[in-house]
Amino acid sequence: MSALNERSLWRATWVIFDKDLRVELRSKETFATLGLFGAVLSFVFAFGFIGDPAVNLQVAPGVLWAGLLFVGALGVGRTFAREQDNNAFTALALSPIPRTAILAAKVLMNFILTAGTMALMTPLLALLLHLDLTPFALPLASLIGLGALGFALIGTPLAVLAVGARFPEVLLPMVTFPLVSPVLICGVRGCAALFGTAVDDDYWAWAQMILAFDLIAGLGGFFLFEWMVSE
Amino acid sequence: MSSDLTVGDPPKPSKAPLFWMTLAALGMFLAHWLVFIYAPMEGTMRAVQRIFYFHLPSAWLCYLGFIMCAGSSLLYLLKQKSKHDAFALACAEVGLAFGVIVLTTGPLWARAAWGVWWKWEPRLTTMAILFLIFACYWVIRSFGGDSPPVRKFGAVLAVFGAPNIVFVHIAVTRWRGDHPNNIQLEPEMRVVLYSCLLIFIIIYALALRLRYRVHMEERTASALARELSRLGG
Repeated sequence: MSALNERSLWRATWVIFDKDLRVELRSKETFATLGLFGAVLSFVFAFGFIGDPAVNLQVAPGVLWAGLLFVGALGVGRTFAREQDNNAFTALALSPIPRTAILAAKVLMNFILTAGTMALMTPLLALLLHLDLTPFALPLASLIGLGALGFALIGTPLAVLAVGARFPEVLLPMVTFPLVSPVLICGVRGCAALFGTAVDDDYWAWAQMILAFDLIAGLGGFFLFEWMVSE
Repeated sequence: MSSDLTVGDPPKPSKAPLFWMTLAALGMFLAHWLVFIYAPMEGTMRAVQRIFYFHLPSAWLCYLGFIMCAGSSLLYLLKQKSKHDAFALACAEVGLAFGVIVLTTGPLWARAAWGVWWKWEPRLTTMAILFLIFACYWVIRSFGGDSPPVRKFGAVLAVFGAPNIVFVHIAVTRWRGDHPNNIQLEPEMRVVLYSCLLIFIIIYALALRLRYRVHMEERTASALARELSRLGG
């Protein structure tokens, strides 16, 4: 019985994720919006912070992680917007599948959207700020990936609840930003360690802290989600 | 008619708050006398050190308020009882009030001790972020309406927010840290600190009780109003 439940959880997660991905691949609506937003942000940051290479390397971690927060907030806000049409979310919540599957699928989708946008935005920022980030490509990708996952894990359950509230577009970033501040601090310090602007620091220790945050936020979110959508 | 209501009868007025309010008011006079006259002058920080007697008890009670808010919010999420939500809201409000004292007295001390109003130091950062999270909670609860989704949103925010602080603290400690630690207090100083703490606890409990009752009575009033409009319609 439990094996069946487990299988149905994975299956339901996959079905919802597949549906979201298919809709996104057909319309390309969210990804195009996020990608363009990421590009606009990169230019704004470049206008604001461009200086000599040493200065650029110092501001780069902050710029990257501020970008991740903005992109993540925009993406998370869109999570349930599509489900609101025709009251699809109620149908989804009433369907005989584990509710955690809905959360898992949405977290996965948000993670892919945020990480995908960051994969475009990071090289663009490096280009605009005259930085060579190729030596750090892999560790940087892992740091940003863990950060994007943390943002999705915190932001997605909150996005479900914001659907019924007033001003969801303001509410969501307002509450998500302070909650993901540990990810932001670790991410910025981790990047600084990686780029060599912070001496005697190890990027891997910061990555481990983001990983621990992701694990705990994920466990908490999945545990509470059942009660969050109980009505 | 009240038997149709899901909420209880209006609570009977009691004289207890008056007693505690008088005690708290007298206690505050005592606290000022203790802090400014009884407490000995500290060697290095001089008079500025006296801020500490209000700062530290406020910080403890601010943390207590937020932890109680998170606990009560978790109960609300699991049991969906209105009283847990009202209690969580009252805890957050009282915690925020003490948080304002901490974030006002802290920079005043920091300016004298460190020469700057603010430092990115673990305890300051932790308190600031915790305060921000619960300020968001309060804004949502105050302006977002009082529907079950808003209550749940607030509850989730509080439940995620309080443990989150452990991470902020660890992260900033690794980054930088120089808050006064293991302060050695003279016996008179200790008397002043714990007296202030006791007086602040009375104020805390009183404020919590009053805010909780206000929230519960607001709910009774709106349930009555709904009942009336149902009967009228």
